[in-house]
Amino acid sequence: MMSVACHNLEFGRTRVDFVSCGCSSNASFDRVSLRNCAKGVLKNVNRACKPRRLFCYRRDIGRCRVFSTKTPEAFLNGVEAGPPPVMDLRNETKGLSSMSDMFEVVADDLLTLNKNLQSIVGSENPVLMSAAEQIFGAGGKRMRPALVFLVSRATAEIAGLKELTKEHRRLAEIIEMIHTASLIHDDVLDESDMRRGKETVHQLYGTRVAVLAGDFMFAQSSWYLANLENLEVIKLISQVIKDFASGEIKQASSLFDCDVHLDEYLIKSYYKTASLIAASTKGAAIFSGVDSNISEQMYQYGKNLGLSFQVVDDILDFTQSAEQLGKPAGSDLAKGNLTAPVIFALEKETKLRDIIESEFSEAGSLEEAIDIVKNCGGIDKARELAREIADQAVHNLNCLPQSSFRQSLEQMVNYNLERIQ
Amino acid sequence: MMSVACHNLEFGRTRVDFVSCGCSSNASFDRVSLRNCAKGCLRMSIGLANLGDCSVTGVTLVGAACFRPRPQRLFSMVRVEAGPPPVVDLRNETKGLSSMSDMFEVVADDLLTLNKNLQSIVGSENPVLMSAAEQIFGAGGKRMRPALVFLVSRATAEIAGLKELTKEHRRLAEIIEMIHTASLIHDDVLDESDMRRGKETVHQLYGTRVAVLAGDFMFAQSSWYLANLENLEVIKLISQVIKDFASGEIKQASSLFDCDVHLDEYLIKSYYKTASLIAASTKGAAIFSGVDSNISEQMYQYGKNLGLSFQVVDDILDFTQSAEQLGKPAGSDLAKGNLTAPVIFALEKETKLRDIIESEFSEAGSLEEAIDIVKNCGGIDRARELAREIADQAIHNLNCLPQSSFRQSLEQMVNYNLERIQ
Repeated sequence: MMSVACHNLEFGRTRVDFVSCGCSSNASFDRVSLRNCAKGVLKNVNRACKPRRLFCYRRDIGRCRVFSTKTPEAFLNGVEAGPPPVMDLRNETKGLSSMSDMFEVVADDLLTLNKNLQSIVGSENPVLMSAAEQIFGAGGKRMRPALVFLVSRATAEIAGLKELTKEHRRLAEIIEMIHTASLIHDDVLDESDMRRGKETVHQLYGTRVAVLAGDFMFAQSSWYLANLENLEVIKLISQVIKDFASGEIKQASSLFDCDVHLDEYLIKSYYKTASLIAASTKGAAIFSGVDSNISEQMYQYGKNLGLSFQVVDDILDFTQSAEQLGKPAGSDLAKGNLTAPVIFALEKETKLRDIIESEFSEAGSLEEAIDIVKNCGGIDKARELAREIADQAVHNLNCLPQSSFRQSLEQMVNYNLERIQ
Repeated sequence: MMSVACHNLEFGRTRVDFVSCGCSSNASFDRVSLRNCAKGCLRMSIGLANLGDCSVTGVTLVGAACFRPRPQRLFSMVRVEAGPPPVVDLRNETKGLSSMSDMFEVVADDLLTLNKNLQSIVGSENPVLMSAAEQIFGAGGKRMRPALVFLVSRATAEIAGLKELTKEHRRLAEIIEMIHTASLIHDDVLDESDMRRGKETVHQLYGTRVAVLAGDFMFAQSSWYLANLENLEVIKLISQVIKDFASGEIKQASSLFDCDVHLDEYLIKSYYKTASLIAASTKGAAIFSGVDSNISEQMYQYGKNLGLSFQVVDDILDFTQSAEQLGKPAGSDLAKGNLTAPVIFALEKETKLRDIIESEFSEAGSLEEAIDIVKNCGGIDRARELAREIADQAIHNLNCLPQSSFRQSLEQMVNYNLERIQ
């Protein structure tokens, strides 16, 4: 017999709590008796056959509580009613003390952002919020919004702006929503179970909730973007969303393709990662009202920072343990996603090609491939690549006056490289 | 032994054809030997147990037959014999819908141009996506929304003294159809529907992941084209629609089997899911014609009322048509717990219905019983009345337009819709 636990999701709007039933389970329940528990108290959370519901509707959580066992795609795990989870930036960055140090100068901006995001996403439906929180609260560092704030403040000085504008703040929120939405859909596309040590949204709530949550956030961000009423920024960000989709397609079309060239890898990394960061930093500069050559430099900074971040991430996928990564190591390679270290290694070691093209059908071949990549200098060359790109990023900052904000932007670049020292 | 068929997808770009392997199955294959077949000739991600010959001819991909041990790939490359590419022929699509294509006759050329442009926009990125989109594009779709854009564009162009449609008009129609298509693809994932218009849904055929990606891609493309129209009013108008889509899905998902649903909530949800896009299309068309805002507002109302009455009629047909006519099982809304106008009206009369619905049709035969109740206690008649009332408002909204063949077609749209439930 299954017991279901209900997440207490009071977000101030209504006493009605929603529970996601995005899962499709084969267990059957005696739902009718549960429903009669108290009229309107517990409407069934799962069903054996069709159709499957996304959300179940429960009025008064205190009254009727049932407890769940873990199923692969499923329920929210119930907890005692308690204070709603607060996204505390400091807790999130425990163990990433250097990054929160860098963001110290914009810490207040980030706290305000968190509050606004909760209210934007949560206001529609608490289950969506809960799903988004799985990502929002899953160790995310708010790096992108932080960049928006840092560049906003660094460029505001040039333009003689005293304070961040509401456009600056809204831009940061939009960026984080787009980023989050893309992560949720990415995990569906990759069929990933874990992200940052926690289950992914679709693992927990089912594919349908994941698709809907992602769609909702993309939609919200498009709407807020439109209402910023700045055509340049609207076009900039729309390009990013297009790039995301293109990047996914490129990646999906070239898995296990050992003929992939470094350029293609960089383009794909641009689409998937750097494009959004570049648009964030440029957008921030636009809203500060600085000259277009400075916005262009901020664009390049964001792009180079993003690319070097991606290369470092790709290196870490080989060098870190599963615990550190929060997901299995070598997962890119396992899926056939050939990144910088592998591309460099393929130039040296032909045996690697065969193993990859076999798509790791033999036991132990993945581990063998990882070893080859490490031993033949693939990682070293990738490290070099990350450094070259990072140097360009620092160079792009030269147009900014010295300030604690510019310093933080430089530190971002170096912090990234330190991850692969 | 499974046989796999590959969709011939030449769209002029490349000799390499893509096959989607979005499904996830447990069978294993001998893929390596196929890959070595000829470098670049046949790269197989689908292994077949005994495919001696490397040339795979004219096979069609069946989702369930697509296998791959691990990891699972979205696209793989397969070379197939060249053959004529599938052509999206509007006239074939509207066979059996002669009255609708008559109404669209006045904008038939506009629609042909639209089809060509859509193929190139979507297909240029990746042929598999195109194939997936075609599953919808070509699946009996009537291009109703683009037709409305063209009709309103031409009807209002007269007022503004415009001689020809602008490129913004055309692009708006393409954007609208892409958004509509993307929403259908994702909707089918959300509803876990297997059939649409008598054909398999995208995710049934290609897997959920391709469906999600195809939908995302089309939303992204349409947002980009929208942004590059550089008209803030229209950008905001359409962004509101995309937001409404998501809200409508959420509203619907949150209120399944909820017998306390009020007619207003149903209308709001129908607005979000259906009428919002149509209203934005018609208003956008008027905006690009450069007419007064009171006329654009009337066009907005026309689109909204037309859309709402369309939805009510669709909801009625779900009860009154057979599975063949619908292209999917009958009563599927009710089965899923989506309570529409006929049911809402019936619930006011017949309390027994409530119990059956709240049991979520756990007993065999209860769905059929519920459908009968809805039919017998006048739920359908009252819904029909509702559709007519809304339709009358739509006609009224056209009064600001000068008489023309285009205005006539717009009126005919309203009536054609009602005729579906005579």
